[in-house]
Amino acid sequence: MTIDILFIWTAFKEIIRALPITLILTILPLLAGFIIGLAVALIRINKVKFLSGIANGYVSFFRGTPIIMHIMLIYFGFPLLIDQISKKFDLGIQSDSIPIILFVLTALSLSAGAYLSEIFRSGIISVSNGQMEAAYSVGMNSFQAMTRIVLPQAIAQSIPNFTNIFIGFLHTSSIAFIVSQKEMTGAANIVASTNLKFLESFIAAGLIYWGLTIIAEGLSFLIEKKATAYNRGGVQ
Amino acid sequence: MGKAFDPSLIVDFIPTLIYYLGVTLQILTASVLLGMVIGIAAAILRVFRIPVLNQFVILYISFIRGTPILIQLFLVFYGLPAILLFINIDISRMDALYFVIITYALSNGAHFAEIFRGAIKAVDYGQTEAAYSVGMNNSQSFFRIVLPQSIRIAFPNIANSIIGSLKDSSLAFTIGVMDMMGRGETLIAATAHALEVYLSLAVIYYAVVLLFEKIFRLYENRINRHQSVDVSVTG
Repeated sequence: MTIDILFIWTAFKEIIRALPITLILTILPLLAGFIIGLAVALIRINKVKFLSGIANGYVSFFRGTPIIMHIMLIYFGFPLLIDQISKKFDLGIQSDSIPIILFVLTALSLSAGAYLSEIFRSGIISVSNGQMEAAYSVGMNSFQAMTRIVLPQAIAQSIPNFTNIFIGFLHTSSIAFIVSQKEMTGAANIVASTNLKFLESFIAAGLIYWGLTIIAEGLSFLIEKKATAYNRGGVQ
Repeated sequence: MGKAFDPSLIVDFIPTLIYYLGVTLQILTASVLLGMVIGIAAAILRVFRIPVLNQFVILYISFIRGTPILIQLFLVFYGLPAILLFINIDISRMDALYFVIITYALSNGAHFAEIFRGAIKAVDYGQTEAAYSVGMNNSQSFFRIVLPQSIRIAFPNIANSIIGSLKDSSLAFTIGVMDMMGRGETLIAATAHALEVYLSLAVIYYAVVLLFEKIFRLYENRINRHQSVDVSVTG
């Protein structure tokens, strides 16, 4: 087996065409996870009766099992569930007609929600209690204080963590190839097995992921500088 | 698409699958120990800014943090035999398990290196000065004073990293390793009860992760027992 350097470029061009699917599989779950995570974090911080128990269990389970499990459980579980419900209520929905990518997106969204909720929680806790008190003292109610004072600071402080999660989920989206999604790793696998050049294809895929990670880190650094401009820490 | 869902099978599958937990733990233990060696060595190269090697380590860490573990697994699986063939060593018949251990060791090494680097920097410089003042030389003060303290500081992050690695090891089956996931795949092929198999696997992974978290928390309390409350570093 020798390494065909030129083929890396050929594979690169082929694989990068699957970039939109990888980005869809990264960004949509994170957007959904943002909402889930925020809701779960607020439920856990305010210790909402009954719901906080469910929220704790959800976060613990999803952080305690591999993400490939979530994908597989939803990929095999949801069709059964949908067919049962469809049969019961005569909806006429066939699980076969639902594209697999929707199951993957659902699974990744639930995972992202669990991971993001922990980041929101630590971000909100890290905002000093005096901020909340100051907001109350100028007559804001809890909702206003949370959305106008605490959350903006919590989110700004959590930007490095959000970047880690973004990069983590960019990499996690590669698991989708196991349920035969043609995202970048899936594309690399196809290029590799049709040309029997495995190493070259995965080098190309690795380079693309690496490049995307470096871009994401750079962007995050710029956004962080802008978002935390109000706070220069101990240095004045 | 499989047969009707049968919840009792979830319990029935657990003994068969848990038998292969050993392989998963073997991958984890070997890769964490190797990763620890790589990580500490890489962190030392970074902290002391050894020329050339420092840049090489930066590149290595950036690459590992910049690519999915799945891609790393494939790169080692297909790349290592190709590289070793240049020096006339044929390892293409080697058990896939070793490729998995090498990949996870390299991946853990990069993550541990970053954790250790932060932890070494977090140790107060006064400790080194105190070590010098009692007559220790550079390497004595580093290995006897600074490194042991940095391990205590690094522990919570190392523990998180190990748990992450345990979850990542579920991808080893993609190159044909017979660990819990791999056995699960063959069970599915034999019984066509995919959902039940994955539910049993999820139960086992969850239980192991919870157990690990518990053990790590106890150990963390133990290594922090000499710390007064206000300065102890707890994750």
